[in-house]
Amino acid sequence: MAYQDDIALMAHLMRRAGFGAGREELEARVAKGYEATVEELLDPETQPPVDAYTLLRYQPASLLPGGQPPMGNVNWMYYLVNTKRPLEEKMALFWHHVFATGNSKVDNYDQLLQQIELFRENGMGNYRELLVKVAKNPTMIFWLDNQQNHGTAVNENWGRELLELFSLGAGNYTEKDVRECSRAFTGWTFETKIPRAPYGRFPWRFEYRPEDHDDGEKEFLGHKGRFNGEDIIDIVVQQPACGKFICRHLYNFFVADEPQVPAWPIEAPQDQKAIDTLVGAFRDAKFDMKPVLRTLFNSDFFKNARFKHMKSPAEVVASTLRMVGGHELPKPGYGELSMQPTYMGQDLLNPPSVEGWHTGKEWINSGSLMARINFVAEKVGDTSLPGVRAIIDRIKTKGSVSPEQLVDDCLDLIGPVEVGADTKQELTSQAKEWGQISWGNGNADVADQRVGQMLQLIAATREYQFG
Amino acid sequence: MPLTTVAEGRVYDWSHAVGRNAARGPGFNYVQSMCLAKDGILFATNRGNENNFGMHVNKVRIGGPGEEEHLADFCEYGEGDGKCIWPFGVAVDGNDHVYVSDDWQNTISVFDSSGNFQRKWGKTGSGDGELMHPAGLAVEKNGNIIVVDSGNNRLQVFTPDGRFVGKCGHGGSGDGEFNQPWGITLDKEGNIYVADWKNHRVQKLSPEGKFLMKFGQYGSVEEPEGSYPVTTFGPYVMSGSETAGYPKPGMLNHPTDVAVDPDGDIYVTDWGNHRVCVFDSEGNPICNLIGDAQVLSKWGQQTVDANPDMAKARRRVRSLEPQYRLCFPTSVEFDPATDSVIVADSQRNRLQIYKKVRDYSDFQANL
Repeated sequence: MAYQDDIALMAHLMRRAGFGAGREELEARVAKGYEATVEELLDPETQPPVDAYTLLRYQPASLLPGGQPPMGNVNWMYYLVNTKRPLEEKMALFWHHVFATGNSKVDNYDQLLQQIELFRENGMGNYRELLVKVAKNPTMIFWLDNQQNHGTAVNENWGRELLELFSLGAGNYTEKDVRECSRAFTGWTFETKIPRAPYGRFPWRFEYRPEDHDDGEKEFLGHKGRFNGEDIIDIVVQQPACGKFICRHLYNFFVADEPQVPAWPIEAPQDQKAIDTLVGAFRDAKFDMKPVLRTLFNSDFFKNARFKHMKSPAEVVASTLRMVGGHELPKPGYGELSMQPTYMGQDLLNPPSVEGWHTGKEWINSGSLMARINFVAEKVGDTSLPGVRAIIDRIKTKGSVSPEQLVDDCLDLIGPVEVGADTKQELTSQAKEWGQISWGNGNADVADQRVGQMLQLIAATREYQFG
Repeated sequence: MPLTTVAEGRVYDWSHAVGRNAARGPGFNYVQSMCLAKDGILFATNRGNENNFGMHVNKVRIGGPGEEEHLADFCEYGEGDGKCIWPFGVAVDGNDHVYVSDDWQNTISVFDSSGNFQRKWGKTGSGDGELMHPAGLAVEKNGNIIVVDSGNNRLQVFTPDGRFVGKCGHGGSGDGEFNQPWGITLDKEGNIYVADWKNHRVQKLSPEGKFLMKFGQYGSVEEPEGSYPVTTFGPYVMSGSETAGYPKPGMLNHPTDVAVDPDGDIYVTDWGNHRVCVFDSEGNPICNLIGDAQVLSKWGQQTVDANPDMAKARRRVRSLEPQYRLCFPTSVEFDPATDSVIVADSQRNRLQIYKKVRDYSDFQANL
């Protein structure tokens, strides 16, 4: 039983810090140890990078996909499915949600993918450095109009979102701070790029134009000086509100669902102590993300938060594809596959607004729930896929299983997934209709099919939507 | 940014570009491979994407600068006869029949020179005559077809109607072994050159498939500080520096195709390093061609002329140099009739054409 608990805990870690893991991997990781696994996740460079060349051989259009889906989505989905550095990719997803930037305005998946690469490379680094890189990222500059922020005509879009959504949260600054902050970022723009016709896209480059920068004195969050953008970021990260805001995002993303961001000024965190612990780590590490993540994953509040997080569509799709296997090569149809999160309400590389997506229970409505269930059911019901076969093969070693055993084994091997008594009774009732499942006497095909069907039923439960 | 590349005993002059980004009609869409037919006619396989479904083969007359002519599109996306899911290799035989491999359906389709479907063969698998991700194609003097059976890491030979004749090679990195090979060419003696993609080398085999020579070792383009990355994986541009980030000559990163000229010089599309590496007949590196498209192609110019905003933006760009450079070139051909090196500049959806200059005499230094 203790070993089973270890498996369940490891499965929890891998769901949250990555995109799930099959039973064989979970067993290997349990043998290695929980804390050692956390360290491996925090040190992605110990694992090989994704083989981008294979992607570009088969789907060359995913390198510079332009403004139309799905080739940009193909690119990221390939990484989500194939990465051996799951926390690196999970942090890219996290920062994409925080620094939400979308194709609806940018009209250029190339630039969005470049931003994801920035998150991949810096997502577990220093938050202050990341914020500077994001402020200089041409995709963000265009998304929030900072190329229109001139010394003689201030545009406050970037300055406002930097404070409201990227660092402090509403209520922790004044309108004057927004103005002064924006003045400090005047002249932060990008070069004219080579246009898309006739040979395809070329990237933007950041450009600082001193002649367009307002070098005058500013008064910002109680500080006075002739601040430039980096000075503003230095002041921002020192604010107590900054650690609280970023750590609440981390808690919401990795631990348990919080209210939506606009409600944060009026609704206290569900676990203030946990947030305080994370904030302490953030401050002590001088804004380095790795120590904060280490604290988070090794904490009791994390370990006790199993199934308190509604899986995001990206998590549903990536974890399913990784579990069932057979989707490692970017084969024809990958475009449609990569759009599945969109159909469930999470259009990757194209969030609905700069606020990112509404998470938790807001992922679910009658349409998105059907899309989630249908997608997962189709995949786990395909008994030819290697990951599904691996589940079948484990159960098959018993020769035959009772209805109760079939339910228990499938719940265990697809997760483990914990379900309530009512759900379990429903599943068992269905299994009883099938009776004893046996792989002998020419029944193997039917037995395989029953396992696939039970996995499909589990994928349709309320409990399976939580990770 | 010179337009003439001078190396020991060789001179290559950039001539012109052909093409533009187009899913159909005049232009290209992610060329995977190409082959030359008679009279300057070129066939190219286009991978397209899952938005425009521009997978097809196009037939183009190359000509001199400004003379390119689009002649036909065929073998478009689909599963039936005359269609392709992922067109990859292309070759033309002595009867002007065009052979096209389908990387996904594991078939070889045959068309006449106008693109009319004739027949196809191919069965998925690893047995004799079966295919797995077929890539490059070449036609032997006797009319047999050599297929780079990439997923099975071997070459297979078929008669023109698809009967299995023979095979050589298997997976590995030793002599005569392959790792996901891509393009293939034959020299005038019928020797076989294969771009051994994931082994980062080229192998030369006898007409019977016996290993003769290999050259190239892994070396990757790197991002110099302060450079302009044209894509996440290069090339990198630093104004006035033609060597920015490129590895030493002779180093290869996922080579995709080979061509041999009548002098025996060998051209390799060094895909991951965004260049064409030129080797002598012994496999010694001579020089690199990195792309010098300082003049727009005819179709490219037409596109710009029809879009005033594009023209305006181009005049505001600080440097057009990133546009000159090759970006993931996939295929190379040498046309002996015009002494041209034709390079499929895949991510830029165009061809870049260099002339091998045979009677070059240097100019006075004090001009």
